[in-house]
Amino acid sequence: MMLARSAGDRLIGNRVLLTLLVAAFASAILLPFASLSPNRLASGQPVMLWQALPGWQLTALALIGLALLAATLARPLPQRTSLWLSLIATLPLLGLDFFSLGDYAHRALVDASPAARVSQGATFWILLFVSALIAIDALQRLRLGLVKRALFGAAALVVIGVCFSGDLLSPLSIMREFANQKDNFVDQLVRHLLLVAGALIPALAIGLPLGLLANRRDRLRNGLFSLLNVFQTLPSIAVFGLLIAPLSALGRAVPWLGDLGVSGIGVAPAIIALVLYSLLPIVRNTYSGLAGVSPGTLEAARGMGMTSRQILWQVEIPLALPVILSGLRIVTVQAIGLVVVAALIGAGGFGAFIFQGLGQYAIDLVLLGAIPTIVLAVIADFTLQILVTFSRPPGTR
Amino acid sequence: MIELKGLTKTYAGKNVVDNVSLTLDTGEFGVLIGPSGCGKSTTLKMINRLVPLSGGRIILNGDDVTELPAEQLRRRIGYAIQSTGLFPHWSVAQNIATVPQLLKWPKSRIDDRVDELMAMFHLDAAEFRHKYPHQLSGGQAQRVGVARALAADPEVLLMDEPFGAVDPLTREVLQAEMRRVHQQTGKTIVFVTHDMDEALQLATRIALLNGGKLVQYDRPIELMVKPDNDFVREFIGQADLGLKLLSRRWVHQYQREPSLEHHATHPGLDHCWQLDDAGRPVALEGARLDEDHEVTEVKPEWTATPGMSMKEALSRMVWYRVMVLPVVDDAGKLIAEIGMQGIMGIQAENGTQAS
Repeated sequence: MMLARSAGDRLIGNRVLLTLLVAAFASAILLPFASLSPNRLASGQPVMLWQALPGWQLTALALIGLALLAATLARPLPQRTSLWLSLIATLPLLGLDFFSLGDYAHRALVDASPAARVSQGATFWILLFVSALIAIDALQRLRLGLVKRALFGAAALVVIGVCFSGDLLSPLSIMREFANQKDNFVDQLVRHLLLVAGALIPALAIGLPLGLLANRRDRLRNGLFSLLNVFQTLPSIAVFGLLIAPLSALGRAVPWLGDLGVSGIGVAPAIIALVLYSLLPIVRNTYSGLAGVSPGTLEAARGMGMTSRQILWQVEIPLALPVILSGLRIVTVQAIGLVVVAALIGAGGFGAFIFQGLGQYAIDLVLLGAIPTIVLAVIADFTLQILVTFSRPPGTR
Repeated sequence: MIELKGLTKTYAGKNVVDNVSLTLDTGEFGVLIGPSGCGKSTTLKMINRLVPLSGGRIILNGDDVTELPAEQLRRRIGYAIQSTGLFPHWSVAQNIATVPQLLKWPKSRIDDRVDELMAMFHLDAAEFRHKYPHQLSGGQAQRVGVARALAADPEVLLMDEPFGAVDPLTREVLQAEMRRVHQQTGKTIVFVTHDMDEALQLATRIALLNGGKLVQYDRPIELMVKPDNDFVREFIGQADLGLKLLSRRWVHQYQREPSLEHHATHPGLDHCWQLDDAGRPVALEGARLDEDHEVTEVKPEWTATPGMSMKEALSRMVWYRVMVLPVVDDAGKLIAEIGMQGIMGIQAENGTQAS
């Protein structure tokens, strides 16, 4: 009988949202919202949500929670209204999450020692991720166009930007680490980006022609892909290690290469390893993009008197572009992550903060390296996703 | 004019096209037909050198095709294929403009030509110009494909089973359009198909191939009434030979003056048409299979036009159970009639008249 209930009788309209709310509620009760520690390295005292937030903030949080709970119900709100409600509610949730943390830090540190630190706790993160997941789920179910999605993304960025703009978050431990490392942070950001670009440009310069070659020469293809697969399976740390001996020998044997910075550690092995890792996705996607162009289209192009060069540039490359760009998207995100590991051999980048923080057991310094890396990866992924969409023929997007 | 002289193609020691020689005059509609693997597509693709020749020569309007640069040759030859091969990332207008673009025509001339071709294929320019291939139906895409092949006013149009992948209804419409376009443009066309009905519909010359060899090259009627051997006879099929013959005859060849009053003296002709003020037929008295003087209302479904094939006219007579059909002009005015006697007349002059 229970199975036979029709959709009209259902109480819950949005189970995903309900699950997320239950998770957020459970974490708010069981896990700390923040932690207070006497200094940078000592482990902190957990602070629960109801201890950290004054009454009006708890009330506001409860109201947002109730609004979201109402959005999970099948009735009385129509489905689209519920989805819009849950989407819009994520913005104050996001803002309140940041504001309450900063506000608590200000109050908690007034009469603490100057060395005392406030860090964000599990509940802060869970509220952050839950609001992101609610927003993503609502955006998908609403099937909004690219413009409306981008507008919502911009609104969320404005909320986050406002939280970071003033002094609100500056007493937090991670922001103090940031303040200490400010000049260094920009240097490492630039270095991180340069390493990614320094790996991707040669990888494209080598990978695109190899993909074309794989498409044109059947016999070469299998050998080429087996070789590139081997690179892909090697652990990155092992590659860095393997490159130390030959590169330092090379740097010593050829002095002008040594002057250029080629040595066993540093930028040179990092870039070589990143290029090797990037080759397979680029070559494979270039190959399959070109292979995906229908034989009829190519026959017609040839039959109408296009030269091989015209066919390549006017037909094959434009039609393969979405797949090639998907490959670029994979390797860009991958390279942003791998550059972190390259800090181990002294190449720099955000990985430097992470390994420094791990060495000092300063978890906020680790986050100072990890969070920007994640943000970079998400931005790169989103930007290239848009490029992929726009490289498709109009109307098939 | 296209001349194939001893054309041969060898793959792995086997002649898939074996010493084929034929001449297709300017303005002819030549169809290459035969069972799968008979070498018809290969023969076609040797004309624009998509397949290199192993032996023999192809002369296109006096030029040996192997002596021209391949790209230059192909721009003189229209090419339409079964999968249409439209460029998915280009609009309909850009697709049609492909060869004129390659030939670097000025933009205004290209635009005019695109509009002209879209009109010829009944594609509303305002609606279709900016559409993309995946937004078209199969029939529309195939029209764009043929329009693109004709864009630069080529000397010859090659078509490789162009209507093989569309549904039967669309195929009939496209075949009728192709016949009209051929009459309008007077283009020399080489057309590959495996469908004998399609070949009989369209061709002025049919080349029947088997195992790479040319079996018979003739006008469609001759192929039917004077087959060179049993293979030709079997390939055409004997069961509906009469109907196939009728598919090559047109109503205007056999129509006669319409009967506007009863002629009791002529048995079987005892019928007459009732017309309205505009001269359109409204009813037929008599000429029914069952009752002589029954009045039958004239419906558009069973009127004939001068350009209709006799096969279709016969089909309508059988289906609507009448011995005679009104032949009307574009305005629906009665201009003639076509009767069972006209159809029987065809059998008497078997093979004596080529269409």
